[in-house]
Amino acid sequence: MKDYRSFLKEYDGPLIRIMEICGTHTASIAHCGIVSLISSRIQLISGPGCPVCVTVTEYIDRLITLSLTPDTVVVTFGDMIRVSGSRQSLQDVRSEGGQVRMVYSPLDMIGLALAEQGKTFVFAAIGFETTTAVYAALMDEIVHAGIANIRILTSLKTMPRVIEWVCSMQGGIDGFLAPGHVSVITGSDLFLPLSEKYHVPFAVAGFEGEQILIALYALVKMISHGDGKVMNLYPSAVTAGGNRTAQNRIDTYFEPCDAAWRGMGVIPDSGMVLRSEYLEYDAGSRDLFSDHSHHPECRCAGVITGALKPQDCPLFGTLCTPDKPQGACMVSTEGSCYSYFVNRRNA
Amino acid sequence: MPGKVISVRGTKAVVDFAGNRMNAEAGLVAVKPGDSVLVHAGCILQVLPEDEANILADLFAELEDL
Amino acid sequence: MAHGSGGKATTELISSIFARYFDNPVLAKMEDAAVVPGAARIAMTTDSFVVTPLFFAGGDIGKLAVCGTVNDLAMSGAAPKYLTCGFILEEGVEVGDLERIVFSMAQTAADAGVLIVAGDTKVIEGKGGLYINTAGVGFLPEGDFEVSSSFCGDGDVILLSGTLGDHHAAILSARMGIENTIQSDCAPLHGMVSALLDEKIRVRAMRDVTRGGLATVLHEFAAASRKCLRIREDQIPVTAQVKGFCGILGLDPLYMGNEGKMVAVVAREDADRALECLRSSPYGKDASIIGEVVSGEEGTLLLHTRTGGIRMLTELYGEGLPRIC
Repeated sequence: MKDYRSFLKEYDGPLIRIMEICGTHTASIAHCGIVSLISSRIQLISGPGCPVCVTVTEYIDRLITLSLTPDTVVVTFGDMIRVSGSRQSLQDVRSEGGQVRMVYSPLDMIGLALAEQGKTFVFAAIGFETTTAVYAALMDEIVHAGIANIRILTSLKTMPRVIEWVCSMQGGIDGFLAPGHVSVITGSDLFLPLSEKYHVPFAVAGFEGEQILIALYALVKMISHGDGKVMNLYPSAVTAGGNRTAQNRIDTYFEPCDAAWRGMGVIPDSGMVLRSEYLEYDAGSRDLFSDHSHHPECRCAGVITGALKPQDCPLFGTLCTPDKPQGACMVSTEGSCYSYFVNRRNA
Repeated sequence: MPGKVISVRGTKAVVDFAGNRMNAEAGLVAVKPGDSVLVHAGCILQVLPEDEANILADLFAELEDL
Repeated sequence: MAHGSGGKATTELISSIFARYFDNPVLAKMEDAAVVPGAARIAMTTDSFVVTPLFFAGGDIGKLAVCGTVNDLAMSGAAPKYLTCGFILEEGVEVGDLERIVFSMAQTAADAGVLIVAGDTKVIEGKGGLYINTAGVGFLPEGDFEVSSSFCGDGDVILLSGTLGDHHAAILSARMGIENTIQSDCAPLHGMVSALLDEKIRVRAMRDVTRGGLATVLHEFAAASRKCLRIREDQIPVTAQVKGFCGILGLDPLYMGNEGKMVAVVAREDADRALECLRSSPYGKDASIIGEVVSGEEGTLLLHTRTGGIRMLTELYGEGLPRIC
């Protein structure tokens, strides 16, 4: 294993397709120039790991409506403001008087809400299991402090069902680079049932270039041996069982639900929503399923599931660029199309 | 990147990232000043070990077997 | 405030603040136009400054307004000589703030060796906003000296005068409530430029690294010169604090704005002396050789990453919003 770099560069065996399902991994792979360090017979596919990318248009439309409601302010992470709903984005509606504020952390919203108690603050709560833990911590704070003017509109997603969807739909992914921060919360055991059922290996990896290379080495080896197991290669942060406190906190406030994924349709049991006893803090998150891609040629669905590379989409680089994005894959800096475009990835 | 806990008060901590100080939520993990932590969207998710050397050695041993 | 409409209040404001700090023989004459000595070839530029907040770690809008225009002149090889400055003040501007800003401009101009020779003030309705326009004139050296982004040639070497991202990080830190000691690097660059010219360094192209960052500037050089430029991540200076700040928000220093850094592409044989020229200035103490023009696809900028891989850099898209997740 000492010379894992040479191994990866010189690999000459059967074509291997490895999917990463974490936006931060997509960004790191591009940032470090990983593709230039591995054989062209090892193909890296970006899966549905970018929470902004998989948000349906109806969710954005609801945020827009809320932002235009008197005495209501929508609070969000930065990337969300450029994603289009069925007609426009939060950025567009700002110039029409829509009240939208950007924060680094959902917890920052508490200060905003306390400072203006006559207004209702609604957080655009998107994310996977990692960020759901943060929302659970937020719920703890607002419930215990009795803050009455905060709501959340959720579009929370979970990993297992969508990975299963990819496995059952595609049949072309040989191994998975498992998300690092999700695994901190859920534990690496989350992927065991999937690896057993579909006989595919998972490698949980950190985000440094070296960590990603080591994980790719492990995956190629496991694939070559036909091993369908889970390896935790981020042991400094990830354990088999994960962060139990965070899991319990999530369970206190949220329950599983069916969720709609942009361009992919509804996947049963793939999302989370506030439990009914906390519905007073919900801004109407249930049943936001409608999804209207505003350009008929947009192929985000194919890109997100690894069926297509970004450059296979007819709009890529022409009608769809970071300056004028069509689908969410180009808007978010973690989106596959954005990453491929700004790094001019050809593989 | 990991941050270093400077102080803790209840569920709030001050975390330092190479000279950048910010408030972080500390309700999901037990932390104390001096801990090296993983922070995501303003919330501490995990305490990280100070010494990674042994962990990496075990890792490489496991990979050798492949 | 009933200023800028020609009445007594205007004269009071001018004489009490502007004239006091911008005092020089040209301005003291208080004519409608400044009459000054010229040169055979001059460079001219103008820019407007609308930054908020008005005061930030390491500088203020006034310092920015002087340095921004001085640096645009310096990048064409001109020695900056004269500046004009026009203020647009909204009702509600604190006179104390105005005084601090004007004082800062006077200091920066003196440091840069330029005279502020003409000015104007208008007051409009509003909520205390303050905007500055500066126009500048500089003298070009005799002879055929010319730099251009299209002059980069095979084997030429790329130098950067110091650390990336400081200004952008200083401004964002204030807005995001992150505490650090990052200072804007707002500074005049023509000292370094005249050192390069005095040493007869064969400079092909030079540019200050402002909005869009280093990657945007070098990408323009690559496109205009129809060459391939390659830089090394491990040679690019970034302070630990700025690196930490970027790590928190998911920003890339290669695409962040500076206000006191420049990049120069020079003939290979002159590279070491050019580095000395940059480092001779207090504003160039972290100067570094960061890359070179190589053979490769025309119009491309490549980054040799710390991990040892190659990444292609394009110009900046969007506003570089902080990432989530």
